[in-house]
Amino acid sequence: MLAGLVAWAVQFTVIYGATSTLCGRGWVGATMLGVGNVQAIILAATLAALAVTALALAWSLRLYGQAGDRAAPADRFMSQTGALINGFSLLVILWHGIPAFILPACA
Amino acid sequence: MGKGRAAGQESCQCGGEAEFAFWRPVAGCFAGTKSHGQAYPFSACKTHVGQMDLEATWRDAPRRLRAATARAAAFACVLSLMGCSGVQSALDPAGGDARQIYWLTVIMTVGGTLIFLFVTGLLLYAIFAPPERRAWLGSRRTIVYGGLAFPIVILSALLPYGLIVMRDTDVPMPDALPIEVIGEQYWWRVKYPVEGGKPEFATANELVVPVGRPVTVSVTSADVIHSFWIPNFGGKIDMIPGRINRLNFTAERPGIYRGVCAEFCGDQHARMAFDMVALEPAAFEAWRAAQAKPAQDPDAPHLARGRELFRIAGCGSCHVVRGTEGNGAFGPDLTHVGSRRTIGAGQFPNNIGTLAGWIANTQHIKPGVRMPSYGSFTGEDLRALAGYLESLK
Repeated sequence: MLAGLVAWAVQFTVIYGATSTLCGRGWVGATMLGVGNVQAIILAATLAALAVTALALAWSLRLYGQAGDRAAPADRFMSQTGALINGFSLLVILWHGIPAFILPACA
Repeated sequence: MGKGRAAGQESCQCGGEAEFAFWRPVAGCFAGTKSHGQAYPFSACKTHVGQMDLEATWRDAPRRLRAATARAAAFACVLSLMGCSGVQSALDPAGGDARQIYWLTVIMTVGGTLIFLFVTGLLLYAIFAPPERRAWLGSRRTIVYGGLAFPIVILSALLPYGLIVMRDTDVPMPDALPIEVIGEQYWWRVKYPVEGGKPEFATANELVVPVGRPVTVSVTSADVIHSFWIPNFGGKIDMIPGRINRLNFTAERPGIYRGVCAEFCGDQHARMAFDMVALEPAAFEAWRAAQAKPAQDPDAPHLARGRELFRIAGCGSCHVVRGTEGNGAFGPDLTHVGSRRTIGAGQFPNNIGTLAGWIANTQHIKPGVRMPSYGSFTGEDLRALAGYLESLK
């Protein structure tokens, strides 16, 4: 249920840490396959977090589908909440990745 | 609630309980006691609340809400229209950056207001509509589409839009005119550095820029933190001691605007402003050439007397007047003070009267500035000194 939140936290830490370190030390400018190193790290962290969260969301939805109307209220609540949390995490991870491709790396 | 209160008090008298007041039944219902620890049974509580004629109060609520809303809207309209144009208004952009910020503000404000009104309408509908008509508000579909999908779509659109505005404003341009502004308590030192063979010079409390050419203003502070803000041209930028921040913008139309200090910097913070003048390129070059020249010699005896008083009184120990002995770097450069529109950092129109008043009563006009009042001049001397300063065009 918390996989999406954990993935979001990791992505958050990686992109903020990498941007601060690379910009603070002046290591910006190197490119990986034509993409700036800061953007490349943010892209990788965002894609990885999205993949983990998408899997978690799919798993939550599967549980929700299995629970059905006859499941215990607690089970239904947990599966619904899990799907909701993972869905929101997917969205927020995406929102966190977008600025890297609109703003300059060290703006 | 006036009607409810009257009804509550009436029930108090009928019940013969002197301590009964409007709030007691409501408070008693929550606390479970009437007063002084007496038990307050739920049935009595219900009866007393019923006697308060709350239904009449509810019936009256929409009318009072409408009246209050109309008053608030009228006040907000008057207040907002007052700031829609003018020399110091973010709602009257005179540059591309300011225009982008303006539209972002308009979209956010109008959109936010419409959504607020819509949600408030739904809230009132949920409260006052009959149960069978308002049932759809609690349906799963309404919550998913209205409570989840709608905000997600709106925020997903606003996020990239806001980021694009951030990216496209305050962008450094290679051929920008460099200007340095140093904030000091409570005025602005403005420097135009050497550029393409044109000499450097300093002025104060006035920023002059050419229309159509990008400008890069490098700002810092000599004492405390100030903030440089010309609302018609974009965002504000902090002036921090020991650090240089830069603001980039382009003036799109000639005119006179006003900038202010936007960070509290001391007692006279509110009186720390400056004029910004946007000139056509040819007029700007003429102004720049004139400013770079030393001060003209006085062409009348009383002005010569004024220059002598300037020297004798020691004004030159704090102020520069290029071409004279005055070379102090503490206060504003006065070489062409007569050409400026205002004195006292945007406080008064610049003329012989205000100049004389400023010299004689500095600490009365702007208490706390570093220049002392020079109240010992005779009237004739004061006129000569102020006349000399006014002649420094």
